[in-house]
Amino acid sequence: MNAAVAMAGIEKAFGGVPVLRGITLEVAPGSILGLVGENGAGKSTLMNILGGNLQPDAGSISVGGRPFSPRTPADARTAGIAFVHQELTLFGNLTIAENLHLTRFPRRWGLPWIDRGASVRQGADLLARVGLSQRADMLVERLTAGERQLVEIARAIGAQARVLILDEPTTSLGAVERGRLLSLLRELQDAGLAIIFISHELSEVLQICDSVVVLRDGQVAGTGSASTFSVQSLVALMVGREVRQLYPPVRAPGNQEPLLEVRRLGEPSVAHEISLTLHRGEMLGVFGLMGAGRSELARMLFGLDRHTSGDVLLEGRPLSGGPAQRIGRGLAFVTEDRRQDGLCLEAPVADNMTLVHLAALTRTPLRLINRAALRAEVARMSTDVRLTRAPPHLPAGRLSGGNQQKVILAKWLLRPPRVLILDEPTRGIDVGARGEIYELLHRLADTGTGVLVISSELEELTGICDRILVMRQGEIGGEFPRDRFVREDLLRAALPVRVSG
Amino acid sequence: MSWVGGGGKGEGKRGKGEGNPGAVALALNVGAFLTFALLVPGFATGPNLETVVISALPLFLLAVGQTFVLISAGIDLSSTAVVGLVSVVGGVVMSAEEGTQGGTLGTLTGLAAMLATGVAAGAVNGACVGWLRMPAFMVTLTLGMFAGGLAVWLARTVAATETLYGLPSQFLQIGGDAGIALALTAALGIAAHGLLSGTLFGRALQSVGYNARVALVSGLRVQRVILATYVLGGLFAAFAAVLLTGRLETASPTHGRQLLLDVIGATVIGGTSLSGGRGRIGWTALGVLFLALVGNGLTLMNLSDFAITIVKGLVILAAALLDAWRVRRRGRS
Amino acid sequence: MPRPLALRLLEAAPLLLFLAVILLFGTQSAGFLTAANAAQILAQAAPTVIVAVGMTFVLLTAGVDLSVGALMFIGAGVAGLLAIAGYPLPVSIAVMVAIGVAGGGVNALLVSRFGLVPFVATLATLYIGRGLGRWITETRAMNLPESFLMIGASEPLGLPLPVWAAAAVAVAGQCVLSTTPFGRYLYALGADPEGARKAGLPTRRLIAAVYVISGACAGLGGLLALARLGAVSPRFGEFYEFDAITASVLGGTSLYGGRGRVLPDTVVGALLVKTIFSGLVSVQADPYLYPLITATIIFLAVAVDSARSRLAARLTRRVIRVDA
Repeated sequence: MNAAVAMAGIEKAFGGVPVLRGITLEVAPGSILGLVGENGAGKSTLMNILGGNLQPDAGSISVGGRPFSPRTPADARTAGIAFVHQELTLFGNLTIAENLHLTRFPRRWGLPWIDRGASVRQGADLLARVGLSQRADMLVERLTAGERQLVEIARAIGAQARVLILDEPTTSLGAVERGRLLSLLRELQDAGLAIIFISHELSEVLQICDSVVVLRDGQVAGTGSASTFSVQSLVALMVGREVRQLYPPVRAPGNQEPLLEVRRLGEPSVAHEISLTLHRGEMLGVFGLMGAGRSELARMLFGLDRHTSGDVLLEGRPLSGGPAQRIGRGLAFVTEDRRQDGLCLEAPVADNMTLVHLAALTRTPLRLINRAALRAEVARMSTDVRLTRAPPHLPAGRLSGGNQQKVILAKWLLRPPRVLILDEPTRGIDVGARGEIYELLHRLADTGTGVLVISSELEELTGICDRILVMRQGEIGGEFPRDRFVREDLLRAALPVRVSG
Repeated sequence: MSWVGGGGKGEGKRGKGEGNPGAVALALNVGAFLTFALLVPGFATGPNLETVVISALPLFLLAVGQTFVLISAGIDLSSTAVVGLVSVVGGVVMSAEEGTQGGTLGTLTGLAAMLATGVAAGAVNGACVGWLRMPAFMVTLTLGMFAGGLAVWLARTVAATETLYGLPSQFLQIGGDAGIALALTAALGIAAHGLLSGTLFGRALQSVGYNARVALVSGLRVQRVILATYVLGGLFAAFAAVLLTGRLETASPTHGRQLLLDVIGATVIGGTSLSGGRGRIGWTALGVLFLALVGNGLTLMNLSDFAITIVKGLVILAAALLDAWRVRRRGRS
Repeated sequence: MPRPLALRLLEAAPLLLFLAVILLFGTQSAGFLTAANAAQILAQAAPTVIVAVGMTFVLLTAGVDLSVGALMFIGAGVAGLLAIAGYPLPVSIAVMVAIGVAGGGVNALLVSRFGLVPFVATLATLYIGRGLGRWITETRAMNLPESFLMIGASEPLGLPLPVWAAAAVAVAGQCVLSTTPFGRYLYALGADPEGARKAGLPTRRLIAAVYVISGACAGLGGLLALARLGAVSPRFGEFYEFDAITASVLGGTSLYGGRGRVLPDTVVGALLVKTIFSGLVSVQADPYLYPLITATIIFLAVAVDSARSRLAARLTRRVIRVDA
């Protein structure tokens, strides 16, 4: 019998950086395949290729025995592939039923009038199948994330998919919803659907899947029937032993003087009793999976979001106010999404680089810009961060990812901060630039700045940090000093803890 | 990116044309000048050109204010109505003095009241857009409605006619004397340019317009920048009112009413981007000059008003198409 | 997840405001709450309602159409010329709507095909349209034959014909928005243009379509306005675009797209402004205060809508973050 999905030799590189190095796997109809791996291992890229969002550089795919090379997501959908993404794609201002039927409304008498009765009825059927009790004519914007996820799955079922890809389907589900989803998947499996289940919840993967594929560094690190694995063996395969990148030599630890103290920080549904201390000259990492609350923590520390309980102290004095005030006290924040809130893409490099500390380059009383000083500072920082091929007048949007990140760093380091917070600082950046950024961060820490690095890449954190905190579901799940950097332990500390149902 | 402004949503995906809008605007001006100089006798004469420039001064001041607002990714639909209000306020204050004997003191008081009115109007706009996060389009539209109505009511209540006469001669000179008007406008224009391109505020304004989220994260006080921007808009509208009131020798709520489309048209032709971040006073000046030259040249050619309006529309269209084409070409490379 | 009372109140604000205005003027003046007055308000509002319906479609896609007044003007001018030249009435009517559609087509081309920002594209068509209109009418006022006025004056079933026309357009518009795939696509497009594209919706055609619709509504609205006035002046249709936008926004349509309804919202918005005007007349307020009061009420309505959208956004954010 033909495999529902068969991929052979899939390769993909972004900007010269290989992400998938020859993936071969098969999913049988009526079976559930678990796909696991660290962030950056290639799971999303592989599934995006299957889902028609990306084209592979090499390799072939067949679906149901027939060659499959979609150029758009619509092509993939037509071939029976349904991809339920982690980021939700429903339209909040439409009802559940409308979202379910958006491309195939039931019509009245064949004319372009929506048969609302039929739409709501069919919608209600689908909702019942996935275990949602909401009415089909409810607006999606009123659903929780977990409920929306179930609607997305319902949509896939309604579209008569033959292959269902689920990316982290249970992260936002409560225990009861999860149980319902898992039994729903078994029903679908019995009906002949092939399911690819991507998840970090390894025990769940072993519970529900028939077979498992472990990806690491763009290659298949392990594959086999689920019964041959344990959580421990999966974790071991995920982290591997080779060191992928070059990291700067291990630092001498800082002087242990507390710099930034966070005491029982809390915000409902976001963070719970977070306490940590960042010391002078320390490189402190914060590891965790998506949704653990790390970026939210950073935003609260920087004053972009409020927190209802707890305090933050810098050098013993309470920290309050918005970003402007905190920058004045010496905080700096490199955000997660450099294109959205890191750089003005149309503005020149020089303007971006001098945005935070421009006041220091002006003369009172009118705050006239001292152009000579500005040029000199831009040149100085460009050298400092090793920025090349980025003339100061070029719009920042034209730079490579690595250069963009360097411009952002230069912006914050124009005047040395006391605390630098970075959220996913090397995401989407090539190896060479990464190394330079790590070196830069080490040099910065050596001068006494406290550096807080949030990252989903465990290897990166173990490579450059003195200490790592692991966040999990809005709380600190563990603290690891350098001598206890065992990657399996760190990963396990990040895995969601469920009250088993 | 929505066209209504109020701080960008950080989606710079549409992108703005690179290249040099200033060069395009300059080319347009040179082209228009040469065309009319060749075709129309009496165009390229000193007195005619002087008339063109002098009558375009109020439009220029309004367009400068609009430029600031557009750079912040906003829009100001109230500026021409504010002109009427400011004019009436000036008339009310200065006519209350001894008419043409009002003298210097009367003029100074009047000027202060006029500028304060402009600033107040701008402050209302800026507060609503910056703090209440209301869409700039609606805020300035309703403020314009309010200001227009207030101007008429004020004129009628105080003076029982809509037009106020008897303004002090010192005041009338500011707008009426070509030399003074030109000098004042040039000084304001240069100051605006300096503010925009050479100060912290100017940079902050550009950042807010390009991407308000980045500006916030980078420690800029976005709300204050927005407030100051609209205050500038109101202030420049007030200056425009001073010139118009002086030149027409009357204070009236209808001064400048027909100019709104031209204000926006001139800034667009000049190359200031409607989605924020990019704009220069110099470009706006070229845009204003172009509209003025075209209007004058076509009038001398005995073209009727409507033909002139059509030509202006076609030019705006051409400028926009050129910009869109440039953006698309860059996106492909 | 139940919606908090605050949000529900804010959502109902336009209607509440409308009722409050009626109540306010009704208690202050005897002549206000009469059927005759209501009919008059409806008749005066009819052209605005129709144009606002078209504008709502455009606003849903986060666009704008500044040229509607100019299209009304051109249509009125041509129709007037035809009527004076002796062509039968139906021809004039057809031509007016056709011109609106054609003008809308030009806007559609500029925005969807050439990628111009709607504000600039329709600003340019506004200029050109006004100029064309003045050329056609030779910048003189035109007085129209009796037949035109009959449209405005005839009262089938007791209500003026324009009111029936406006009602029909409003009902049709709402039907399209809520019961056709096209309508639902517009909402999706307004909420998330990228997502709509990825979902395979024909985004370019959708955007083009709304401008054609807006143009058609402009033509029809112009017809009714013309029928009421009986003459075309050089300032015919001026500022109708702002009236239409205000009516939609007052009703709760978002300028950023994805939110808005024709019935009852836009209609209420259009009626609100005219009702305020009528109310001020009937309480014999100082006419010079009209724009002040109207502007203040509109401002309040917009402020309330801003508060509503901010509250809704905050709630949505919290909803997404809920985990078990």
